Amino acid sequence: MNYFPDEVIEHIFDFISSHKDRNSISLVSKSWHKIERCSRKSVFIGNCYAINPERLIQRFPSLRSLTLKGKPHFADFNLVPHEWGGFVHPWIVALAKARVELEELRLKRMVVSDESLELLSRSFASFKSLVLVSCEGFTTDGLASVAANCRHLRELDLQENEIDDHRGQWLNCFPESSTALTSLNFSCLKGETNLAALERLVARSPNLESLKVNRAVPLDALTRLMSCAPQLVDLGVGSYENEPDQESFMKLMAAIKKCTELRSLSGFSEVAPLCLTAFYPICQNLTSLNLSYAAEIQGNHLIRFIQFCKRLQRLWILDSIGDKGLEVVASTCKELQELRVFPSDLHDEEDNDTAVTEIGLVAISAGCPKLHSILYFCKQMTNAALITVAKNCPNFIRFRLCILEPNKPDHTTSQSLDEGFGAIVQACKGLRRLSLSGLLTDKVFLYIGMYAEQLEMLSIAFAGDTDKGMLYVLNGCKKMRKLEIRDSPFGNTALLADVDKYRTMRSLWMSSCEVTLGGCKRLARNAPWLNVEIINENENNDLMMERNEEDEREKVDRLYLYRTVVGARKDAPPCVTIL
Amino acid sequence: MENSNSYSPYSSSSVDSTKPSPSESSVNLSLSLTFPSTSSQRETSQDWPPIKPRLRDTLKSLCLRQRRYNTALFVKVYMEGVPIGRKLDLSTFSGYESLLENLSHMFDTSVICGNRDRKHHVLTYQDKDGDWMMVGDIPWDMFLETVRRLKITRPERC
Repeated sequence: MNYFPDEVIEHIFDFISSHKDRNSISLVSKSWHKIERCSRKSVFIGNCYAINPERLIQRFPSLRSLTLKGKPHFADFNLVPHEWGGFVHPWIVALAKARVELEELRLKRMVVSDESLELLSRSFASFKSLVLVSCEGFTTDGLASVAANCRHLRELDLQENEIDDHRGQWLNCFPESSTALTSLNFSCLKGETNLAALERLVARSPNLESLKVNRAVPLDALTRLMSCAPQLVDLGVGSYENEPDQESFMKLMAAIKKCTELRSLSGFSEVAPLCLTAFYPICQNLTSLNLSYAAEIQGNHLIRFIQFCKRLQRLWILDSIGDKGLEVVASTCKELQELRVFPSDLHDEEDNDTAVTEIGLVAISAGCPKLHSILYFCKQMTNAALITVAKNCPNFIRFRLCILEPNKPDHTTSQSLDEGFGAIVQACKGLRRLSLSGLLTDKVFLYIGMYAEQLEMLSIAFAGDTDKGMLYVLNGCKKMRKLEIRDSPFGNTALLADVDKYRTMRSLWMSSCEVTLGGCKRLARNAPWLNVEIINENENNDLMMERNEEDEREKVDRLYLYRTVVGARKDAPPCVTIL
Repeated sequence: MENSNSYSPYSSSSVDSTKPSPSESSVNLSLSLTFPSTSSQRETSQDWPPIKPRLRDTLKSLCLRQRRYNTALFVKVYMEGVPIGRKLDLSTFSGYESLLENLSHMFDTSVICGNRDRKHHVLTYQDKDGDWMMVGDIPWDMFLETVRRLKITRPERC
């Protein structure tokens, strides 16, 4: 029995936007479930194969904003075949058919076609925002239809997508009447850009706050763009190989000086160091800086710039900044919350001592009290350093460490890094995401199972000794949602020990482990609510299924399993077998 | 998509993981290594380290550019008739023009490519076969690979 009429309850629910909270609300009572689902505007679907569009629409008829994720995370690292799946088209078709008044679509690791984009652009009159992250399958023709037909488009954000650039005139397709743009990001486009069209578009978009251009936008064009958009908050710069001449440089600096609202800077691939210095006038205002593509800028230039960025909250940088550079960050950026240090030398040829080590990590942990998320690529680590980091930063939510050489031990003691990571999980009670690396035995998983109570996502590579390791994690981490494992000796025993555990998880990935076909088949039999996918790129899977029982002992290349309410998907390619 | 099953992560001998042997550390221009068997090759396969494609491509192209430009290429330069020569790092030049400009400056005279004539010093080089050739006939990149030493010839006397 509700004390208030439905409209009042609905109004109260309006204030609750977190997906988790709304999901909880819907479990309270039948009446709350109904009110909640009819008023829900925004839905997040972490695995597009866990549900189908028809059921989604049925449950949430007032849907306005949809977020969908397709391929598993390891697809980012070439471990999932391109044709694996994650097609958005059936979703758009269903939403269009049901006349959902879709305003926002955010996709990650999905396959998007020009046809899908065309249909999208024609089906939803109030469509406002399209965000595509790590997607593929479309061309600039698809972008042209979005530009041309979405009259109320405010946001077009393309991050790290594989887009076939037809060098067409997609920017020209924005009608003259389109003045509502607040965010435009096409940094991942590889081809030429129609500069005149871009300049006209920016000039007639007074609300444009975020602009990220691609490499083909030269310095003088950037200067003009910034001059007609001094209100910019977030800027992504193109690429400038040659140092600008004096006059161009002065003009650029003058334009930058006017951008007093600028808080976030990115881009800078193939950039001469001088171009970075043009941003000195506003660097003390920056809260976010992404120089992770600026492979040409040497450490000392980076340091000289960063030492003025006192308000930085987010920094993405290459390891060429070195330990010295990180010490400067630690003493300058007291507001730092998120740090990502990427590798700049994949081949270890330089034999350089200038890349970061455990020293930089410790310095950051000591100097930046607000740090809660870190991604750190380095060549070496020690337990002592990790223990110190844990003591300095008990507030980590995300801790991802990638030591470049698999199985590398503590370089001072030659021991495994179990104790170091153990200290991290014990101290950081709020840790939600963890990535491990270096030499690790089952012990580290014992620690994780014991202490990592809030852990939701765990990435394991080249770690562990026996199935016990994986079991510690499955039994101990009650909040585990995504577990991804590669090249580790976990097999059927761990996989099959507690099948019901997978009801509480979104997905499990295991590649180059010890699980066999037989084990996977048994799992699939015991858990019909799971899709158990075997990915074997080098074989015809029909052939595989015909083999006799002996081959059940054959190890599985790649296993991906996930809970679903709609059964086996029908769009799997030949290299994927769903058991 | 290669699956690197040949690498065994479970052996305890991975503690003393090996540096590449001398033959392996010689320049290997094939960046998409698909048969990782040493730990250093393992590090650079398409799926490790775990970085996204865009960063991987950026670093690959940077590496290619650096490989071409980072190797210093010092050769001896003699002016005909002058016993003491100079040494020059050819990798610092972008092409024949900048080389000639620099030589002209270094020897305080006008140095050119092309046929011997009365007025100018002509630049010649000794290639890897030991033959003396006229500078400027072959593409610059090819020249860099074959040049061993330079000689500036005196102008013709009448």
